[in-house]
Amino acid sequence: MVAAGLLALAFSLAVTVLAFCGLIGFDNARLDTRLLSDGYFHSVVWFSIKQAGLSALLALILAWPVARALYYSPGLWLRQSFLSLCVLSFVMPTLILITGLVALLGRQGLISPWLGPDWNLYGLPGILIAHVYLNLPFAVRVQLLQLQHIPDSSWKLAAQLKLGAWQRLRLIEWPALRAGMLPLFGFVFVLCFNSFAVVLALGGGPRATTLEVAIYQSLKYDFNIPEALTLAWTQLLIAGSLFLLLNRLGGSQWLGVDSTRQHWKPRPGAAMQRLHRLVYASTALALLLPLLALVPGILQVDLARFDWRAIAGPALTSLLIAAIAGTGALLLAYAMLLPLRFARTEGRTTLALLFDWLSTQALVAPAMVVSVGLYILLLPQLDLDYWGMLFVVLLNMLLIVPYAVQQLRPRLLQFDRQYERLVRSLKLGLRARLRVEWPYMRRACITSFALMLLLAMGDVAIFSIFGTSNWTTLPWLIYGYAGTYRMGEASVASLLLLLICALMVWLFQHFEKGQQDA
Amino acid sequence: MLDIEDLQVLRDRQPLRYSLQVHRGEILAIQGRSGVGKTTLLDCIAGFATATAGRLDWQGHSLLGLSAAQRPVSMLFQDHNLFEHLSVADNLQLGLSVTLPQDRLQEALDSLEVAGLLTRRPTELSGGQRQRIALIRTLLRPEPIVLLDEPFAELDPHSRQCATDWTRRTAKAAQKTLLMVTHQDEDVQQVADRAIVLQRPA
Repeated sequence: MVAAGLLALAFSLAVTVLAFCGLIGFDNARLDTRLLSDGYFHSVVWFSIKQAGLSALLALILAWPVARALYYSPGLWLRQSFLSLCVLSFVMPTLILITGLVALLGRQGLISPWLGPDWNLYGLPGILIAHVYLNLPFAVRVQLLQLQHIPDSSWKLAAQLKLGAWQRLRLIEWPALRAGMLPLFGFVFVLCFNSFAVVLALGGGPRATTLEVAIYQSLKYDFNIPEALTLAWTQLLIAGSLFLLLNRLGGSQWLGVDSTRQHWKPRPGAAMQRLHRLVYASTALALLLPLLALVPGILQVDLARFDWRAIAGPALTSLLIAAIAGTGALLLAYAMLLPLRFARTEGRTTLALLFDWLSTQALVAPAMVVSVGLYILLLPQLDLDYWGMLFVVLLNMLLIVPYAVQQLRPRLLQFDRQYERLVRSLKLGLRARLRVEWPYMRRACITSFALMLLLAMGDVAIFSIFGTSNWTTLPWLIYGYAGTYRMGEASVASLLLLLICALMVWLFQHFEKGQQDA
Repeated sequence: MLDIEDLQVLRDRQPLRYSLQVHRGEILAIQGRSGVGKTTLLDCIAGFATATAGRLDWQGHSLLGLSAAQRPVSMLFQDHNLFEHLSVADNLQLGLSVTLPQDRLQEALDSLEVAGLLTRRPTELSGGQRQRIALIRTLLRPEPIVLLDEPFAELDPHSRQCATDWTRRTAKAAQKTLLMVTHQDEDVQQVADRAIVLQRPA
């Protein structure tokens, strides 16, 4: 069993190594070092950092009052649905949001007339709005979970000592949030730094281009491989260093089940409760508006004459890619964790750390960087128009494996802590062991699978490099519709994708809650 | 015979040393103050703690080179003896020989008054009920060496009487070599052939 795990680790590592072979200039491709002193390069790097920093800062600041409202007023109307909406907003494919934002705030947008003649969604404002929309719900959930970790005893002591609101904030609330703030900022920064679809769709010209989009443009439009390589290395150095730094700071927990089981905490006054309700309602409205903005576009379309086949094919392609990549990722993750579990059981800590790192090493390089590396390596060897989809599936699978590992690892290690001695004592064979382990892991596997489907469904970066027009995915089709101002079709396709994702989120939350209750 | 001679195990970097012999079919009670190393001895025999020196032989063959899965040992831990997500019936089947007659299992369930619990999950049982279920599985497994770590700790007086009677009867009938850690003198009297008291290392 451990041998199968080692094989899975070797396979994943081999793909990363091959991608790096492409990046280091295999087959005579060389870095374009002159680019490093070019004004265009500097503006792209600066814009990538600026938009990511501002997006992360805004998301964190705006999330704080929302998390406080949810924490101090657990009786808010439709609270659970709001938290589900937060999950959906964070994981849904960005092209849905982009369609909604264009319908709402674009040139012909529903509320654009009220925003003044100078309003322009394209460029930094649009990118910031989209990134804040996507990451604020994540920040809300992280901060809420941190607040929920404040023990009752702290609040009781504060009440005994008659601490005022400011003292409670300074002495209890802020220390609970502070430890998680830097990792949270770093994580959102990395997400925005590696964000591709948002900048591709809403970025405008060289002044609003990030490294990811510049890589895509130099490879697909200009076919300038040295420039693509230089940009990819820059992206890897910045994003990879940030990831390694974040790893040291520790991750942010956000998918924990909302708990209102705390028995005692201060009850806000009437005015504060009204403020909480206002913040809560405004945020819910802000999250819902881009989704509701899809409706007028759909109403414009004559649904009876609508060419459903045009979106049915891409929808099936997306589902198929996601299903294969998700299943493969889950199986690979399960196998990759076997050597780690074995090393931990044997008490070999260093080896366990090595296996742990190997199982999540794919996180270091962004999807675009790995795709470009492999693309450049394979281009002279293979007909990528023919084999491209195979690599779309393969790379999607390998790049979501670390998330599957992170989902399965705690449950499997808990199983080992609780039962490994018993399993060994009972001398269970492979089949008997799986019979015992599967019921324990079933919910975790289904939950992870739903998350893997969501992650793979939304991919645009890998498809933009390896995809072919014969096998268009739903997000790429939406991008095509939105790019040619066919907002009606874009809205219908977005709604379909949204419904599929909402179903997966429901599945995810349903099984996750069951797992927590078990 | 189970022959343990100058067996040394490191626990928290402190060496613990054991020397004892147990004849085939004999029931030995192991007593001693908390922290003296009773559980560590059982763990070492079962293959969950590594010996750094000494000898551990069964019927003349060393067990030290064997993994936990290869040793002829069936062990009852202090806790976590049942998989919480499986039914009692499923838990009981694990590790039992396929040739075990059904009437032997039924007799055990009846003797320990747990026959009506087969469809339940361990989380639905009391501590004493869980302990009796685990005890049945441990003793009915085909392994010749049985290690019990405080097997009757959670039982009320009536259940304790049933469990001790059944344990001795079953172990003797199957010629099991049984080592049992206990703090209770009455367990020693009712189950064991003899007892040893482990001393804290000097």
